[in-house]
Amino acid sequence: MENLQAVDMKERKPKQIFVQGAISPAFIADSIQKHSTRHDIGGHSIFLGQVRADTIEEKPVAAIEYTTYEEMALEKMLEIREAIFSKYDLTCMHVYHSLGKVAAGEICLFVFTSSKHRRMAIDACTELVEKIKFELPVWGKELFEDESYQWKENK
Amino acid sequence: MELQITIFGQLTDITGTNLIRVPAVSTTDELLAALKQQYPALGTAKFVVAVDKKIIQGNTELAANSSIALLPPFSGG
Repeated sequence: MENLQAVDMKERKPKQIFVQGAISPAFIADSIQKHSTRHDIGGHSIFLGQVRADTIEEKPVAAIEYTTYEEMALEKMLEIREAIFSKYDLTCMHVYHSLGKVAAGEICLFVFTSSKHRRMAIDACTELVEKIKFELPVWGKELFEDESYQWKENK
Repeated sequence: MELQITIFGQLTDITGTNLIRVPAVSTTDELLAALKQQYPALGTAKFVVAVDKKIIQGNTELAANSSIALLPPFSGG
């Protein structure tokens, strides 16, 4: 019992999920590589969010600049993390979200779930992405090449 | 005494800054009334209020050291 509590205390510490700028494909590859020692894993599910160059009034989006209410976002992420771990039988879960400027075509969100079997990993990943989009206090500002902007809306 | 309010996202277009200070009031309803008087555009803007990092439901008591934030709809990912 005491041991379990010790583990819980450790688990409750919010984990940093924010990275400055784009998430590089090499970082993602490295993260996959790190799981090769975990022989209880049978399936991974990965979601990658990429900045889309939407055209608004004939102007394409050049980049999105992300800001957050970091203390609140990390606490919220801890809640989401615990909810997902208690609902799905996962081996591990990793979330990275960009802050600052990310150019069109670059990766801004990396969600990675692993489980013994594919279904748990896929379902957990899907739910996690939805929760991140709708529950985390993060804002995207779509920047155009002429330095004008509009605030992104999640659909 | 003053309260400090942190402003995020598109609401900074209304306030022109991400940190505003207002004379202390004791509830979020009073605070919102004062803010809407100072920034009329907040009256039609969509946002929720967070007190001590939790989104509030309904009128909430404020303390001098409450951390207060106005959060427009989230658009991460």
